[in-house]
Amino acid sequence: MNRSIRRLYLTLAAGFGLLVLMLGWWQVVAAGDLRDRPGNIQTAQAERLIDRGRILSADGRVLAASRARRIKGQRVFERLYPQGTLAANAVGYVSDSAGKTGIESTYNRYLSGSFGTEPLLQRLSLKEKRGADVRLSLDTRVQLAAEQALAGNRGSAVAFDPTTGQVLALASAPGFDLQQAVSDFDSIPTEGSPFVNRATQGLYPPGSTFKVVTATAALESGQYTPETTFDDTGSYATPGGPIRNFGGRTFGEHTLSTALTNSINTTFAFIGDSVGASRLGGTMTAYGFGEKPPIDLPGDSVLVSGRRDGDTVLPNDEDGEDTARIAIGQERLTVTPLQMMMVAGAVANRGVLMAPRLMETITDRGGAVVQRGAPQEMGRVMTAENAAQLTEMMTNVVREGTGTAAALSSTGVTVAGKTGTAESSDATRNQAWFIGFAPAEAPVVAVAVVIEDTSSTGGVAAAPVAAAVMRAAIEAR
Amino acid sequence: MTARNRELGFLIPAALLGFLGIATVASARTDTLELGPLPGAIGVLAVFLAMHVTLRLRAPHADPYLLPTVGVLSAIGLVELDRINPALAADQAVWVGVGGAAFIATVLLLPDHRILENYTYLIGLAGVGLLLITMVFGTRINGAKLWISIGGGQTVQLGEVAKVLVVVFLAAYLRDKRELLAIPTRRVMRMPVPPGAALAPVLLFLGACLSLVVILNDFGTALLFLGIFLAMIYLATGRVAYTGFGIGLFVIGSALVYTVVPRIQERVDNWLDPFGDAQGQGFQLVQSLYALAQGGVVGPGLGKAFLVREDGSTVIPVLETDFMFSAVASELGYVGGVGILLGFLLLIQRGFVIAATANDGFSKLLAGGLTAAIGLQAILIIGGVTRLIPLTGVTLPFMSYGGSSVVTNFVLVALLLIISHRTTAGNTPSARRRRQAEAAAERELDAA
Repeated sequence: MNRSIRRLYLTLAAGFGLLVLMLGWWQVVAAGDLRDRPGNIQTAQAERLIDRGRILSADGRVLAASRARRIKGQRVFERLYPQGTLAANAVGYVSDSAGKTGIESTYNRYLSGSFGTEPLLQRLSLKEKRGADVRLSLDTRVQLAAEQALAGNRGSAVAFDPTTGQVLALASAPGFDLQQAVSDFDSIPTEGSPFVNRATQGLYPPGSTFKVVTATAALESGQYTPETTFDDTGSYATPGGPIRNFGGRTFGEHTLSTALTNSINTTFAFIGDSVGASRLGGTMTAYGFGEKPPIDLPGDSVLVSGRRDGDTVLPNDEDGEDTARIAIGQERLTVTPLQMMMVAGAVANRGVLMAPRLMETITDRGGAVVQRGAPQEMGRVMTAENAAQLTEMMTNVVREGTGTAAALSSTGVTVAGKTGTAESSDATRNQAWFIGFAPAEAPVVAVAVVIEDTSSTGGVAAAPVAAAVMRAAIEAR
Repeated sequence: MTARNRELGFLIPAALLGFLGIATVASARTDTLELGPLPGAIGVLAVFLAMHVTLRLRAPHADPYLLPTVGVLSAIGLVELDRINPALAADQAVWVGVGGAAFIATVLLLPDHRILENYTYLIGLAGVGLLLITMVFGTRINGAKLWISIGGGQTVQLGEVAKVLVVVFLAAYLRDKRELLAIPTRRVMRMPVPPGAALAPVLLFLGACLSLVVILNDFGTALLFLGIFLAMIYLATGRVAYTGFGIGLFVIGSALVYTVVPRIQERVDNWLDPFGDAQGQGFQLVQSLYALAQGGVVGPGLGKAFLVREDGSTVIPVLETDFMFSAVASELGYVGGVGILLGFLLLIQRGFVIAATANDGFSKLLAGGLTAAIGLQAILIIGGVTRLIPLTGVTLPFMSYGGSSVVTNFVLVALLLIISHRTTAGNTPSARRRRQAEAAAERELDAA
């Protein structure tokens, strides 16, 4: 019988072995995933007990901080947002009921002190339960200028340093009060969708701002220079019907540079057909269309720009498409302000596209830098010469073309830019655009502005907002 | 070093663990040491010392590792209960006292376990009877009818007691019939089939137990009884075929039960996808897994995990009974959880050593069966709370809150220790037997 006894013992021991493995799965291997599951009250409780790190702006303002409170002898923390509505969608909130958004979500591991060896040291009581501080490149002065300029409108204004990718402002209007979001989420009126971060989630037809992309393709093709001449008859025939100019104007003989200055549809439509789907699409891909911009915000709050069929994003260079209409920013093309800011930024940075990012440094409470945001190149979109030529063309737009309202002449700064007005059948529901950068010779800021549902044009509604943001960015330096 | 000195030596760290535990819990609770649970802890220590002294007097050769291991598990269980709710821990300390008394009584009144062999059928009937009583007079709690109200708000779980009786009955019966069962007389479809006369009573018995337990809606205990039965059949016959056949029957039976009983369907569905209904049927298990994940590798320490809300309710429902293991593993992490598992492994290892070294078939079967019962029960409930198997509501031996479980398992350990002692000391006839023998001798003398 002893053989049976030994085997029974081994069988039960194997059972305990399985338990050891299973327990290890939940407590070690899958523990992180479980803790991140929405509705995990263990995580919610743990977060109440942790002195969550601060979120700071580039100019040293506190965007989010934690305050200790005692409940029944236990120290718990509540989240404070001293700037209220400022940059609400970018900063984000931490709420038991509504989850986490924005930077609060992206850098949650650092803010909640659960990175590296911190959790172990905290559990062994060798370190206090405190999260690291996250300092952003976002500047409250630029952000405030953007939000004030947008006030009363629905839309977005975004700005970054085109040479480093540091995001200076990420405004979305209407906004909401972060403090209200953590104290009484449901009391926030949802009219105007304040929780949609229009900077990264708003999809709009780009209109004429897309001509910067088409012009890039034209210059890169080698077939065109800014001096190449065209003859406008007021209409350009395509299989999908004729394309006409804004206001039904006819421009006659003109150069490529003039075509951009006056935003001549027929010429860019012709260029689109002439360079072809593959080159135009290749340029789009180089600018980052068709992929999620690599900004450090939660993935579900950043949308892909490009041509869409319903919810499906189409490839940038499909054959047999109406390249003439794509070239002037139509044909199911929808883009985010962030993407159009990247377009302006690549031109500004001599043809090299920098990845936009918000995080500057993550510092633990001892002052040691845990992580530092480094400038990251996404690739070269065009040659430096072509970028210089395009800059010159875009400078003309602001000096004498559709974008004069974006000029900063009083400060002696030259602005380069492009307007856009995506018209809809309802004349009061246009989307007004401006993208640009300044100073044109040595850019420190690139912007994209969109105003929703306006009867006005990009040059009138969006360009002044862009001017205010660029002025604030230049002054903040 | 004698076995008893060794036992005493190992009881010291068990006691230290208990005192350190309540001190940690107290300091985590108020930042100051409070003396509330101290008298209870001293009382429990005294109970264990009394058990030790009883063994010293009546079973000096018994295995020295069992009692300290039980001490460690009980200590951790009591500390965790104190942390969840001091009133429950105070209750449980009293139950440990009762369990200790039952342990001592068993050792004193049953000097030789082989006496039990004389009452095979009585014990078997008692086991079925207890389940019958539960069925007739039982109180339904959480859908299962497991408890007998004994007045004063106290309830007794007779299924736990029946567990030991079932093992004793099976050990005695199988000891008698093992040769018959081991040598199949005929084959049906290539399967060896033992003679019906030997098999029928035991199958009848098993059927009675299982159907009663199923009527009581207590599938955890049903599963446990079936497991014990299969384990003991295997011990007795050494034939994997029977066990395999049993498991096959079990799978078919389970499939039947699954399709017929909605409660079981829920349990299995929750097991397969606990997160599918995380706020409803899957709530307990999901909360258990969250607590385990929060514990991580080392855990926050005793008294520091989030197990009890500010209003005193537990985060996991029935934390103090079914989910004791999750509570400990959440506070002490993977390290602590594995520690508990090793504790149980050590316990069954000693149990099987006692079984293997025992002198006769009945002792081997009894020791093996009792040990398998403890091991299977631990695997059932720990496997349930870690989602290895569907969750069933059996108690975690020595750790879960509940008097019946504590008392029964203490008696079970007493039996193991008696068997262990008898292995070395040899079997002695009971006083009654001795008197009978003496009387017979006298009669013979008289006759002569």
